[in-house]
Amino acid sequence: MKKILINRDFILFSIILIGLIGVGFANPLFVTPKSISDVLTDTSILIILALSQMIVILIRAIDLSVASNLALSGMLISLLSTVHPELPVYYFIALSCLIGTFLGVLNGISIAILKVPFIVTTLGTLSIYRGLIYFVSAGKQVYSNAFSEDFLALIHVKFLSLSFLFWLAVAVFIVIYILLNHTRFGRNLYSLGGNPDAAKYIGINENKYIIMAYSLSGFFAGLCGYLWVARYSVASTQIAIGFELTVISACVVGGISVMGGVGTVLGCVLGALLIGLIRNALPAVDISQFWQLAISGAIILLAIIINTKTEQRKEKTIMVEN
Amino acid sequence: MVVCLYMKLELKKISKFFPGIKALQNVDFNLKQNSIHALLGENGAGKSTLVKILCGVYQPDEGSIYLDTKKHIISDPTSSLQLGISAIHQESVMFDELSVMENIFIGNHIVKKNRLVDWSAMEKKTKDLLSNLEADIQPNEKIKDLSIAQRHIVQISRSLVHDADIVIMDEPTASLSQKEIEELYSIIRNLKKQNKSIIFISHKLDEVLEICDEFTVLRDGEVINTDLISNTNKDQLITNMAGREISQIFPKKHVTIEQEILNVKNLYKKTQFKNINFNLRKKEILGFYGLVGSGRTEIMKSIFGITKLDEGEILFNDQKISITKPSDAIDQGIVYLSEERQQLGMTGLMSVKDNINMAIMDRNSNFYVMNTLKEIKNASAMQEKLNIKVSYWSQLTQSLSGGNQQKTVIAKWLSTKPKVLILDEPTKGIDVRSKSAVHEFMGELVEEGMSIMMISSELPEILGMCDRVVVMYKGLIRDILDVKKASSEQIVKLASGES
Amino acid sequence: MSMIPDKPPFKLLDILYKKEFILFVVLIAILIINSNLTPYFLDLYNLIDSTFLFSEKAIIALTMTFVIIARQIDLSVASIIAVSSVVLGYTTSLGYDTWLVISLTLLSGALCGAFNGAIITKFAIPSIIVTIGTMSLFRGLAYSFLEDSYYNKFPKIVSNLGSGYLFGYIPYAFLTFILLALVFAFILHKTTVGKKIFSIGNNPDAAQYTGIAVDKYTFVLFTLNGLFSAIAAIFLSGRLSSVRPNIAFGWELEIITMVVLGGVYIYGGSGSILGVVISIFILGMLSFGLGLLNVPGVGIIIFTGLLLILSIGFPSFVRTLRRKNE
Repeated sequence: MKKILINRDFILFSIILIGLIGVGFANPLFVTPKSISDVLTDTSILIILALSQMIVILIRAIDLSVASNLALSGMLISLLSTVHPELPVYYFIALSCLIGTFLGVLNGISIAILKVPFIVTTLGTLSIYRGLIYFVSAGKQVYSNAFSEDFLALIHVKFLSLSFLFWLAVAVFIVIYILLNHTRFGRNLYSLGGNPDAAKYIGINENKYIIMAYSLSGFFAGLCGYLWVARYSVASTQIAIGFELTVISACVVGGISVMGGVGTVLGCVLGALLIGLIRNALPAVDISQFWQLAISGAIILLAIIINTKTEQRKEKTIMVEN
Repeated sequence: MVVCLYMKLELKKISKFFPGIKALQNVDFNLKQNSIHALLGENGAGKSTLVKILCGVYQPDEGSIYLDTKKHIISDPTSSLQLGISAIHQESVMFDELSVMENIFIGNHIVKKNRLVDWSAMEKKTKDLLSNLEADIQPNEKIKDLSIAQRHIVQISRSLVHDADIVIMDEPTASLSQKEIEELYSIIRNLKKQNKSIIFISHKLDEVLEICDEFTVLRDGEVINTDLISNTNKDQLITNMAGREISQIFPKKHVTIEQEILNVKNLYKKTQFKNINFNLRKKEILGFYGLVGSGRTEIMKSIFGITKLDEGEILFNDQKISITKPSDAIDQGIVYLSEERQQLGMTGLMSVKDNINMAIMDRNSNFYVMNTLKEIKNASAMQEKLNIKVSYWSQLTQSLSGGNQQKTVIAKWLSTKPKVLILDEPTKGIDVRSKSAVHEFMGELVEEGMSIMMISSELPEILGMCDRVVVMYKGLIRDILDVKKASSEQIVKLASGES
Repeated sequence: MSMIPDKPPFKLLDILYKKEFILFVVLIAILIINSNLTPYFLDLYNLIDSTFLFSEKAIIALTMTFVIIARQIDLSVASIIAVSSVVLGYTTSLGYDTWLVISLTLLSGALCGAFNGAIITKFAIPSIIVTIGTMSLFRGLAYSFLEDSYYNKFPKIVSNLGSGYLFGYIPYAFLTFILLALVFAFILHKTTVGKKIFSIGNNPDAAQYTGIAVDKYTFVLFTLNGLFSAIAAIFLSGRLSSVRPNIAFGWELEIITMVVLGGVYIYGGSGSILGVVISIFILGMLSFGLGLLNVPGVGIIIFTGLLLILSIGFPSFVRTLRRKNE
């Protein structure tokens, strides 16, 4: 029983529950089924991105370019839609994923083959991809009239009164859960992150895994490119600016260690939910939008500190006290 | 015992070169089926290069490898495993955060037909392996919670999973207690009965003579001798390894020990050590003996200020001193040469001159500005004294050879003109010739007035070099003995926890 | 005394391989290309005015260089600029004396930096994570305070410093940068402080065992980074006509680019102030030149990103090819 109580995922879950109850008292409208469904939908993109970022963080790296990747993929398919709105939705989704994956592969190649450190590579591509959005769109926005009905409606389709977008996040959760816990690839990610030298000795090809991890991160960024544009019905150069930091915070709050090799899929999702809850709860309890950034920042720092205190390696016991 | 003359592994005329170094030259190595074959040699003799070639990490530049009389190329670690070769290392090739089960199957998880990991099959196999080895370990325990002996067992299980025919063991008893060593020997004999062939690397010649069937000695990359163990003895092996008669491995000079210089009282650190009381006299060499993990390094780290003491007093020249950080200790004249000499002592990207002067930077400067003349003066003095091979002062320390790097670290500490030198396993991993040089140097230092506290896990070294020895077990001092009056059996018993 | 030389015999060819030389060549190339593409480039007044655009960032790049050499990183500098400019505007609006206004502004930056330093050293959390958090926290504080308003009244001296010239020729901001660069170069390469920073960055454990106060230095470096962000905020606020909470948005990336492009190794232990200074000029002249050619700011951003990646990727690629041929 004690093991369940100090399990960090359980603690996260409790915090979310307590937070929900707290907000519910201040604003009962917040805890209605519709409202909760909206919060879940709103957090879905963050959940998907956090799960894919987790793959990269597990091998001791970070992908700072996800938001720019998302925005560029979204803009490119939107531009296509202005010319060919009649194309089927799945066509756009597939294209967006493809573009995202390609952008991710570029990251992987830069890090694994050109040996440019991941911080430098993803800081660079963060700017390059964001810049390319201006380039292809000439700074203009693409409005909802450029999209077909299907394009915009898909994510709002309801199943069991929850949106398609939410169920997509659930599907991604299941896929990544299986990937990380029940495939060789996933388990090797944990070992590569936990002890890179030993992993190479065992025959795990570090370069291959780096490229695969960033490709997956790019794939989901591309997917979210479609989702974001469809959700907000607009594509612009300003989409998701700074969002990569929210994604990374979700992972860190969820217990994914930046040192690599540690972290659970459930924790990641809970971390994303907590951050999503905060973002939606603050306006609901009448806190001015201008305080949101500060409060999110503070809570993230707090979570990181608590995280570290519980993670701290205890010294090996040499002497047994009597 | 089954006597079998079938050749399991044959290495013919293997050579391996690195820039400027001939690591292996024309090496022939034959491992008989079912044999426990000792691979001997000092550090730098070529043992680890040979092992790395067998494990697929390096490719030989010349020569060929035959397994079961068939020629093979071991191109990478995966091929090595597939060919039935498995290695157990000193450093952990282990994943602390993962379970025992996963560590055993690492890189090689059992998968079901649908490509998903088959956890239940793995768990069952793990339980079988562990019970065969009579180990009290659960498949789901995390490696970080296991003891060193238990980790070894997991590593052995890993070789068995790979159905390895050849098991390479690199210093397997380094951190084990006597009881655990006996258990390991019986596991090894068991492996032999299961038709495995074992390459056994150890510098403990007594152990080699006890458990091995054959041996091969490497020196400077070449095979010096290979024969049955029954045809040799310890002295012959030493001569083979060192290339000359070593009659005086411990050239200890006679020194008059003076008054007490350091006195520690009731040192206590939670879960690490307790009731630590000892003193050190001027010009004395005080040994600290115990199993790896008995708390000796932890005590020294506290005295040096790296970690905090929960309780206790330190008196230096009868004055109580407070040490909360390393610079406090250094100012008092106490310095610590850690076991991991390069990782904790050397700054590779900085010049040799900077490294040598690293601890006395403030003394070498005027108002924070570096005084290059003083720097070079000190560096030159140290270079001469220790015979460091360096071409120019601005050379990066990482470009020096391993031995010279270690000398640089020693030079750094000697530059502080210390009164007490704490040495943690000073000759670990050093070849016999250099060991001798280190010991001789230690003798010179105490003659010049220094006092030394030496942590060592090699009993011969303790008996040969020290005046007194502090014997520790699980964080407590068992006894402090006068080396001249103590017997090896007595010391080993105390260190293993027996009375 | 043994006669070991300090440095290897001087070979002119060795200079060719030095990072700083390559950067210098790139700078000259940019100057030549730009002056050929537009007549306005080599105009002295234009060049002088171009320094305004990068001087504030350059000042922070100096302390950031120390931070990165010490194996840390600080993503919160732009947010600290925001906090400091808000403090500057607010204290001005309260009518405080100029010296008090400036002191409080500098103090606010130093406190933010100290906050970073404290959390990083006390809880041993990687600086990239901590500063990702404080990046939001600090800018958030600026937003909470100022909301969507702005400040446009500052002490006269601030406006002078930000947009004024010494002797009518040399911008104060640029001058400050150059003077500070000289001081920092001296500190880094000629003092014990600099050597300790290199040591900490290259091998923090060895540095600790050698008696270097690693945590203390780390704390001070982050505090200094915050202080210099406040100094930059003073110049910046003086130059802009109004200051909003989104001031200096994205600057942390540009500043880090300046440092890394200058040859400072991102994982610490190696680098020079000279390299960073040349890279600052490269980026500055590039922006300026492209701006004159009416290339949109976006193009400059893309180019900078590519430059950053290629500056490390290209030499590394060449090295791998060379190794394969051996």
